[in-house]
Amino acid sequence: MSSTLEKPQIIAHIQKSLNYTVFDSRWIPCSAKFVCMGNFARGTGVMQIYEIQHGELQLVKEAVAACSDVRSEMEALLCRNLEVPECPVYSVKAHKEIINSIDGVGGLGIGDGAPEIVTGSRDGTVKVWDSRQKDTPVVNMEPVEGETKRDCWTVAFGHAFNDQDRCVCAGYDNGDIKLFDLRNMSLRWETNIKNGVCSVEFDRKDINMNKLVATSLEGKFHVFDMRTQHPTKGFASVSEKAHKSTVWQVRHLPQNRDIFMTAGGAGNLHLWKYEYPAQRTKKGADDVDMGVAGSVNLLQNVTLSTQPISSLDWSPDKQGLCVCSSFDQSVRVLIVTKLNTV
Amino acid sequence: MPLIVRDHTWTQNQNTVYISVPLKGVKTANVHVICTDEYLKVSFPPFLFEVFLFGPINEEKSEAKIGNGVAVFTLQKRRDELWEQLFTNIDKDKQKQIREQAILKVQEKEAEKSKAKAARIQQEKKYALETMMKLENEERDRIQKMKNEECARATAEMDFWRETQRKTAEENENQQKLRGTGILDNQPVCQKTECANATPAVTVLHNTGNTTSGQISKKQKPKDLPAPRSAGCIKINFTPRVFPTALRESRIPEEEEWLKKQAEARRAVDTDLAELDDLKEEERNPDWLKEKGDKLFMAGNYQAAVNAYNLAIKLNRKIPALFSNRAACHLKLRNLHKAIEDSSQALELLTPAVAANAPGRLKAHVRRGTAFCELELYVEGLTDYQAALRIDPHNEALRADTDKIREIIQGTT
Repeated sequence: MSSTLEKPQIIAHIQKSLNYTVFDSRWIPCSAKFVCMGNFARGTGVMQIYEIQHGELQLVKEAVAACSDVRSEMEALLCRNLEVPECPVYSVKAHKEIINSIDGVGGLGIGDGAPEIVTGSRDGTVKVWDSRQKDTPVVNMEPVEGETKRDCWTVAFGHAFNDQDRCVCAGYDNGDIKLFDLRNMSLRWETNIKNGVCSVEFDRKDINMNKLVATSLEGKFHVFDMRTQHPTKGFASVSEKAHKSTVWQVRHLPQNRDIFMTAGGAGNLHLWKYEYPAQRTKKGADDVDMGVAGSVNLLQNVTLSTQPISSLDWSPDKQGLCVCSSFDQSVRVLIVTKLNTV
Repeated sequence: MPLIVRDHTWTQNQNTVYISVPLKGVKTANVHVICTDEYLKVSFPPFLFEVFLFGPINEEKSEAKIGNGVAVFTLQKRRDELWEQLFTNIDKDKQKQIREQAILKVQEKEAEKSKAKAARIQQEKKYALETMMKLENEERDRIQKMKNEECARATAEMDFWRETQRKTAEENENQQKLRGTGILDNQPVCQKTECANATPAVTVLHNTGNTTSGQISKKQKPKDLPAPRSAGCIKINFTPRVFPTALRESRIPEEEEWLKKQAEARRAVDTDLAELDDLKEEERNPDWLKEKGDKLFMAGNYQAAVNAYNLAIKLNRKIPALFSNRAACHLKLRNLHKAIEDSSQALELLTPAVAANAPGRLKAHVRRGTAFCELELYVEGLTDYQAALRIDPHNEALRADTDKIREIIQGTT
């Protein structure tokens, strides 16, 4: 019995039912507040800010968007000042179709360099925007002429350890994962994982790229070791099948980059720890260095709801605190214990 | 037939009868006794001893001692009387009856015993189960209690942390106000270190010597951000996929099945034409021939393209694209009548008119319209161009051409 109690426990601390479908929830740094974004049944988008007070969630602010579907069917990219959520700080008509995924780097102490936002859309393009440059993207990754478009489902920044270097990783619905180097403006690596890619994340955005986790349909996820790139074989990876359904989201713990949590389509969360191998590189057949992937251990899992958990976010301030939202119109604040002894 | 034992001995007193039966060397384990109130049978193969008792006995109180080569029975009489002899003389039928009764009785006794045993086992199992359940419930409660404690602790920490955050924010605001009004600002103030580092685990209020000016100037110094990146564009290719849906591993076999069936449906229907024997395997595939024809068209070799399309049509007359493309070739070769025929054929195959075949119909209409105009049949040409415009109203070039034709018609009439 003692061994099960030494494992980290995932405890549902607070649960709140909302009257709209929640697509995403994120913490506001340096505070006990988080933002929930979603859309009402009548189609208008909404953003709400909640604060945790005395074990309950209190609504602090609310903003209703005129356009439908804040996250999906968004035809304008909006950055809003959260103190005054009604007026956007930066607004641009970004893509011809739904923006499926968005990520940011470079402001707020996350990474050095220009503050940039990357968006991935159903029209198959990935665009990088700078809030100081209106109307045109800074970088545009689009298919060549005549190529049939595949939906881009997820984007992530990484490798932003100094002012110039930056990488964008994009996952598509046909299983492609592409890594773009923004310093050289080129495609650095691509691979296909045989299932549509739902979510990609680097373990840290602001370091020399270390690990990348990509989750996909059919309950699989892959962990790539990004320190050593082989010219033909690319990056070494280990893959794991869990969840028995789509893995919607992966998030690394901000305080420990080897622990991450995956959220599944059956309403369950799995907490994993990555173990590095004894040697991270080895010499291949042609005397070129290639990476060695480690192993992934399941620390804990819990089932919270019957609907998919679509988003997950760790609090950057308190270790183990996270907020997750699922399609049963509810948002939950969870506490994961014993993460410092793992 | 078992051997009947007759050399038994017996004694009695007022209330008991003692019978002693020699076992004649048979092991005690093989001795089997059936005893009822009126009858006693001892069988130890190959011997048998049975006696129909003179008077009734109390079977429960009687004893049997089997050992040392002899079986001694101590039978308690029901009625205290001396018996004249050990067994009664009764007739064969009665004997049989008594024997059967005895067997039945023994069986009943056995059944009762086993039932009692089963009931007892059941009882014990139930008890064990209940204790198990109780233990598990306790365990569960204990874990739940731990979780609740953890939750409560976390809530308390959160609240505490939030309060300190709020206090820091207020203090910073106050300092800013003070700074604004120019009051001396090197009083030691209770401050936490930068909020970015604040975690409840490290929640200690420091009386830092930092003056407010140091703190605020750090916040007010703008970060030197690099200029926006110079614009770039990266072209990408996708792993090819026929279906618009997302790729799933479990669906791959079904999808391949479907594609194979589609390809086979397009292949030659009748392969027993004599000339087909000369062709290579790939030349029998209308898809391959169509691609070949397209390539030849792009290269400018229109006659060869027509030949390719001819062969493809011979193999499969149902593909509208073949007719449409052949019409384009004929247009280039100025075989205008043939062009009109082929585009008409293509349009026939492209019924019903749906959004999926709109591009195909557009091309066919435009080609037929062009052919008509080249033959100076402007009215028919205009009909086709108008049909094309209905399919794609936003095409500027098409609109310009239609207007030109209209002018020509109006000019000549």
